[in-house]
Amino acid sequence: MKHDEVDFFLKETEAVRAEIRAAADAVDWDALPGIIADRAQAGAPKTGRVPWAARLWEGLAPLRMRPVLAGLLGGLLIGAGAMYFILKAPAGRAGADGAYYASGEFLDRAELEMARRNTLDYLERSQYMLLDVFESADEGPVVPASLRTERARDLLQKKKYLNAQLERLQMAKAKALCDQIEALFLELSQMDDDLAAAELGKIRGYVEERQLLLKINLVKKELQSGV
Amino acid sequence: MKKILLTVFLALVFGLGPGAVALRAGGQQGGTDEALFREAKLLVFDKSWKAALDKLDELLDRFPSSALAGQALFYKGECLDGLGGRERDALRAYKSYIRLEDAKPSLIEESEGSIVDLAFGLYEKGDASALKDIEARLDHKNKVVRYYAAYKLSFVEDKKEALKAAPVLSKIIETEKDPELLDRARIALLRVSPESLKSAEESQPRAGLTARTLHIRIRGAGQKEPAFSLNIPFALADLAFSALDEGDKAAIRRKGYDLNKIFSELAKTKILKIAGEDGSLIEIWID
Repeated sequence: MKHDEVDFFLKETEAVRAEIRAAADAVDWDALPGIIADRAQAGAPKTGRVPWAARLWEGLAPLRMRPVLAGLLGGLLIGAGAMYFILKAPAGRAGADGAYYASGEFLDRAELEMARRNTLDYLERSQYMLLDVFESADEGPVVPASLRTERARDLLQKKKYLNAQLERLQMAKAKALCDQIEALFLELSQMDDDLAAAELGKIRGYVEERQLLLKINLVKKELQSGV
Repeated sequence: MKKILLTVFLALVFGLGPGAVALRAGGQQGGTDEALFREAKLLVFDKSWKAALDKLDELLDRFPSSALAGQALFYKGECLDGLGGRERDALRAYKSYIRLEDAKPSLIEESEGSIVDLAFGLYEKGDASALKDIEARLDHKNKVVRYYAAYKLSFVEDKKEALKAAPVLSKIIETEKDPELLDRARIALLRVSPESLKSAEESQPRAGLTARTLHIRIRGAGQKEPAFSLNIPFALADLAFSALDEGDKAAIRRKGYDLNKIFSELAKTKILKIAGEDGSLIEIWID
């Protein structure tokens, strides 16, 4: 072989090598085994009737090579199915047959309204209780100790329910005041003997010092106006 | 004894303002169990949980046989509960208190309620096993505890668990007369089992309207299907109208309707239709 021929041969070899490199780069080596397997399956002789599911799967075979696309298609199908059922079932359907029905959103608003009303009621009852203590401090016990204890316990029970509601509904100002009154009722609920006027006077002093009745009125006003 | 304690408590809280403050601020060691207890109670009243807890711990350490040790345990629960982050310790304190022979009924009730609240809080933080403490109280001998446990359980997100509250809530509707308690039980049952509410209401020999069902449908302009739908016991009618969306309430008011007018119209007509200015339609009927 002459020198020119050798030179030409080497150049051509280099060109072919570059082409091979480009072709190799174009191959997705990770997916290649899957492609080979799919083609081998596709080329295999079919015996008897192929089930519809297998045919469908076969049709979707290319997607197996593209998990992202397969996932996307799956998501679209599920989403479309969900939309179909959502749009098919009208909002009023839930209670159309006469059974009781209320949405979660409505129940939350009902809870809020109930909390407002019950807090108002609690504060009013607390006011009566404190006024009774005031009166008893001036004129001696107006109601028997056992009744006062019972009332205090009743208010403590009501407060338990309010705690759950006030915490959930973020009525912080009302809760702080109710907490303050509750501590007083916890003490009164444990006293089954008649308290002396002097002792009742001290409670009165405490209530006045902390302006609890004024605070009760202010919070009541806010709750009455729906704040 | 109780009167003496209260007198001293009141004297400290109400009468000896500056002295009490000094005592509190100084944190000096009280001489007796009674003194420690009084100081702790004052601190509890002011929600100074940590300082109160220190006093109560001192009392329990120095005077374990004191007649006040039991109550100290209850207030210890209050402090641990108030501190936050020590819910399990608070639970232990309350549980220890209710096991005491000389525990006071009012404080037992308070402790049981707090146990339910604490267990619910732990459940919300991811401890599903905490619900056992609430479930165990569904058949408590004290109905106050039973009712509260059922009410609280109705808020549990796991509907299967929440459904366990249904029998107690139904019982409230069937047997109780307190309107506040009844409304709470109705709302709670609507949340967990509307069908249980229906059968509980129907088992009641309530006269007239209260035994009936109130229906409200609100449709947007040109909409065939309602955007809002409600079927509830008539007993909740007042609450239902108050809990309507603000826009819908305003539309009803603009048309000159209030609750009384709605009810008087419903007595005359089978179905009340209120057309809004924007083309929306509110339908109300009772059956």
